[in-house]
Amino acid sequence: MNDLELAQTPSTPAVRMDHKEGRVFMAGDSYPENPFEFFQPIIDWIDTFLKESSRPLAFDLELIYLNTSSIRAMMDIFDRLEEAHQGGRQVNVLWSYDPDNERVGELAEEFKEDCTFPFAIAPRS
Amino acid sequence: MSMPPLPLDDNLEEQIEALLAADTPADGWKEPLHELFQRYIDQQRLLDRLTHIADRFQAAERERSQGYLVNYEKKVRQLEKIVRISDQYQTMLHQLKERLEHASNYDSLTNLPNRRYMTIRLEEAAAQAARKPEAGFTVMIADVDDFKAVNDKFGHAAGDRVLQAVARALELALREYDMCARWGGEEFLLLFPACESTNAPLVAERLRLAVASAPRISEEIPAPTISIGYTQHRTQENIDKTLLRADEALYKAKNAGRNCSIGM
Repeated sequence: MNDLELAQTPSTPAVRMDHKEGRVFMAGDSYPENPFEFFQPIIDWIDTFLKESSRPLAFDLELIYLNTSSIRAMMDIFDRLEEAHQGGRQVNVLWSYDPDNERVGELAEEFKEDCTFPFAIAPRS
Repeated sequence: MSMPPLPLDDNLEEQIEALLAADTPADGWKEPLHELFQRYIDQQRLLDRLTHIADRFQAAERERSQGYLVNYEKKVRQLEKIVRISDQYQTMLHQLKERLEHASNYDSLTNLPNRRYMTIRLEEAAAQAARKPEAGFTVMIADVDDFKAVNDKFGHAAGDRVLQAVARALELALREYDMCARWGGEEFLLLFPACESTNAPLVAERLRLAVASAPRISEEIPAPTISIGYTQHRTQENIDKTLLRADEALYKAKNAGRNCSIGM
């Protein structure tokens, strides 16, 4: 399987998905013009990774603003992680935010609410 | 699923009753009665099985619709969560917009309106005065005396504290509808809507004294004073002209020995 790398744009976050390391990095704002087109490859990558290997998967998030479709996509992603976790897979999320904008941390808490896998939220130092 | 044809016989019981009631020879009725009973029992068994199958179908259907309901409720909860989070993001954006607006209109050191914001307000005031000549206004330019000396001797941080102290003193001495902006460097511009030219000297002196009597910043740094030049806006006059006159008045105040106010 391939790595996936998308450069940051004003309306889409930077994305780096490294299959060898089992790491996903996403940073920036997300209000893509076509949310499905943007998120589908990301979701497909996760599905393939979870299916084709049994290695742990770690998410490193520095997302700031998400529009409604992006919120939905992120919830879909977390649902997949939750399912994998329930199946005994090692997954974790670290969501870091700018301490000057604490609201981002509060929003990350909302996402964390239904997740039972390790989900850390921390101000960026 | 296709059902097997039902060999049900509606009047089996009637036939049995009839056979029992009939006046039949002793040996002749046993066999047909036995056969009828057997058929009756078979039919009961079949009915039981059918009932059982029907029950299972019903249970499965109930379970399926319950599954739909659970799934539906889950979707509704998800949607509610998306809406909740989305609302919070909108609030966050709104707050960022407000912060941005504030940053573009206010001076970060003194938190007073900046030159950009004051220019807009001055132009509005001039436009209003053009429509209603009685809405005349006064502008004042206040300049901190010997500010360069403070900067040179005590450093820029001390200079910044002086500017903040002067800004606070001016702000506290103003009426609610007056406006004081950091015009640039150590210069402050004050706008007094509905201020008669006869009142201007009193107002200017009040401000000068407010700064002169403000609490000291430190023992070393001398108490700041200001010089003020003021003027009344003249109807139909371009605001730049008014400001130029106020500047000239300030120049005169500086030449007159500073820590004083002069009108033109």
